[in-house]
Amino acid sequence: MSMDKKIKLKLENISHSFVVNNEVQDAVSDVSIDVYDNEFLVILGPGRCGKSVLLNIIGGLEKPISGNLYLDGEKLQGSDKRISMVFQKLALMPWKTVMGNVEFGPQLAGVDKETRRKTAQKYIDLVGLTGFEKAYPNQLSGGMKQRVGIARAYANNPEILLMDEPFGQLDAQTRYAMEEEIQRIWQTEKRTIIFVTNNIEEAVYLGDRIILLSECPATVKQIYDVNLPRPRDTIHPEFLRIRKEVSENTDLAL
Amino acid sequence: MEQDLDLKTISNEERVKLIQAQRKKEQYKSSMLSIAGVLGFIIFWQVIAISGLIESKYLSTPIQIVSLFITKLTNPNPDGAVIGVNIISSLTIALSGFGLAIIIGIPLGLFMGWYRGFDSFIRPIFEIIRPIPPVSWIPLTIVWLGIGLKAKALIVFFAAFVPCLINSYAGIRSTSEVLINVAKTCGASNFTIFRKIGIPSSMVLTFAGIKVAIGNAWATLVAAEMLASSSGLGYMILMGRQFGRVDLVILGIVVIGVIGTLISILIGMLENKVLGWRKL
Amino acid sequence: MGTKTTVMSVQEKREYYLKKVYMVLPVISLSLLLLLWINVSKSSAFPSPKDTWDRLIMLFQKPIKGLNIFGHVWASLVRIFIALAFNWTFGIAFGILIGWNKTCKALFTPLFNAFRAVPPLAWIPLITLWLGTGEFPKILIVIFGSIASIVVNTQAGMSNVEKLYLDVGTIFNASASQKLFQIAIPSALDAIFAGIRTSTSAAWMVVLAAEMLGAKSGVGFLITRGMDSIDMPLVLMSMIAIGIVGALLAIITQFAERLLCPWTKKSN
Repeated sequence: MSMDKKIKLKLENISHSFVVNNEVQDAVSDVSIDVYDNEFLVILGPGRCGKSVLLNIIGGLEKPISGNLYLDGEKLQGSDKRISMVFQKLALMPWKTVMGNVEFGPQLAGVDKETRRKTAQKYIDLVGLTGFEKAYPNQLSGGMKQRVGIARAYANNPEILLMDEPFGQLDAQTRYAMEEEIQRIWQTEKRTIIFVTNNIEEAVYLGDRIILLSECPATVKQIYDVNLPRPRDTIHPEFLRIRKEVSENTDLAL
Repeated sequence: MEQDLDLKTISNEERVKLIQAQRKKEQYKSSMLSIAGVLGFIIFWQVIAISGLIESKYLSTPIQIVSLFITKLTNPNPDGAVIGVNIISSLTIALSGFGLAIIIGIPLGLFMGWYRGFDSFIRPIFEIIRPIPPVSWIPLTIVWLGIGLKAKALIVFFAAFVPCLINSYAGIRSTSEVLINVAKTCGASNFTIFRKIGIPSSMVLTFAGIKVAIGNAWATLVAAEMLASSSGLGYMILMGRQFGRVDLVILGIVVIGVIGTLISILIGMLENKVLGWRKL
Repeated sequence: MGTKTTVMSVQEKREYYLKKVYMVLPVISLSLLLLLWINVSKSSAFPSPKDTWDRLIMLFQKPIKGLNIFGHVWASLVRIFIALAFNWTFGIAFGILIGWNKTCKALFTPLFNAFRAVPPLAWIPLITLWLGTGEFPKILIVIFGSIASIVVNTQAGMSNVEKLYLDVGTIFNASASQKLFQIAIPSALDAIFAGIRTSTSAAWMVVLAAEMLGAKSGVGFLITRGMDSIDMPLVLMSMIAIGIVGALLAIITQFAERLLCPWTKKSN
């Protein structure tokens, strides 16, 4: 089924640990994952199991103790322009407007004003925030702020988008709305997305595949294929079956 | 850096030791830089003063300052008192004005922050007094109370009073509504909530206010001594200026700075004791 | 109004009357203060409100050293503006340096702390010894007295830059200088502004003391002049002027901050 798909990103035997209070704590333990081109991959795991660490490693914010990353076959060292990230905690620059934030990536890369404005505008429109270009982040709701974060990540023209529990801080209603939104956005502008979450329903709703991680230290417990058509019906029997299967397999962390 | 080594091969204990060693090394480097900075400055000072680039009537060497300090331990010239007397005189006034400010300012601020009636009554008076800098009260206090202890203590009081009040006011106003509600549901009276929740919550900001207040008190004291006194460290500096004794002036500045720093350190230690829970 | 009170509950009625009381209290306290003022002035050399007002008018008719009250206020303000201009350029740059760069922080912090420990006014005899009583030494005194707060605030702002913002920069492959100028410094702007506000009020206080100890113009000079010629209305009037200008400066700097940093939400 996935034999003919191109492997975009390859994680090979990634391990990572931290020294905290004079003790070594393992965060990630020998994780190997193949990420296919333009798929919506969900990494699901209980709280504090190292999934964010994994994402930080892919994004280049942390260097793993051992293991390698390959993008399109080349080895990755540190952060790469082709990989962009949407953070969990709201990481918009409060002193910049929406437009300022979205065009930040291209601005750092030295793209001229006109081009980057056009690019930024395209993605502001894509996430549904047309008209808010001049607003400051403190004037926006939580959902809107995350949409700016998504637009900002897209505006850098990445090939891979990392999303670190982007809807974790939102209330339930907004969260459902944003799940629909991200799916629509992804289908309009297809990229490879690696989406981290601890919410099983969200994982089954969004993912082409779900990689289930164990509790700390993180290892790959199981990989699920979700072959339901989009947009998914959360009360479809097949949806519920997959959800139950994943739920029973998940380690509970207290 | 940690990750230059092939970390797969070393054991966990070795890795922890490596990190600890690295941290020690960084702290060491940092301390060395600080000491180098200070020493470098003192040496630079000494060299410039000795070389005659600046005439000796404008700058004394560090060594001369130290020897003057030792001399003044017993010699009352030229300002009329040994240095010990000056120090004690300054400290007494600073601490009494400061003490008074704490005793009056903090409770007042706490009450004003908690009880609206208090606030409405006292606030307008306070807002009028507040913008007037303590230094400018000096002439008026001299007219009232002449030159001497009471005048100086009053000026120091004004300087320390304002930050104490403002900060304890802000502190108690920042008490979390949630905590207040918890106490209410337990049936506590308004005064009990004030005592047991409001006051502890305000401690952080109140202490910040105390630190500012003591700084203000010490600074204003020096001014007061220069304008309204015949003893104390500020007066000593003034006399130094009068007699053209730059070494006395610099000595005075150094002593004032050192004592000010010591007081800050003491208050910092007190704060750590009272507010130790914050670090957790 | 009668209908309103009969419809409210006991609790609401209490609060309704209390609110009225709270509005009256300031009037009561201020009137008491005024009465106190008039009383004190009757029984001592303390000037009465009327005397003070007359003195103000007289100052317009008979200027001191060629300047009326506005002239003196302006003279003082000019001094602090020059001092602050220096402070805000050099002080902020220095604060950024020791806040951002760990080597510089280790090297300069102890020296700077020693400098800070000396109350601004203690520098006056030394500076006047070196440079006399002209304009430059006064401005230097103001600089010494107000530079500490801007450096400390800027340094705090730079040391406390949110790691998250820097991470965003890393993801977008920002260079070190881009991280400094496009992320760290803008995020420290509200701390820097706090420093600007504090240094402005500190400068205002120090300039007074500097003028009180030797000047030919300025509000501090007016106070000393009043003190020397036992002209108490002049002293009191100058103090009031000082208070008003000080309050205005605070309001203006707050307003400027809101204008230049529209993204900061101030909770009062």
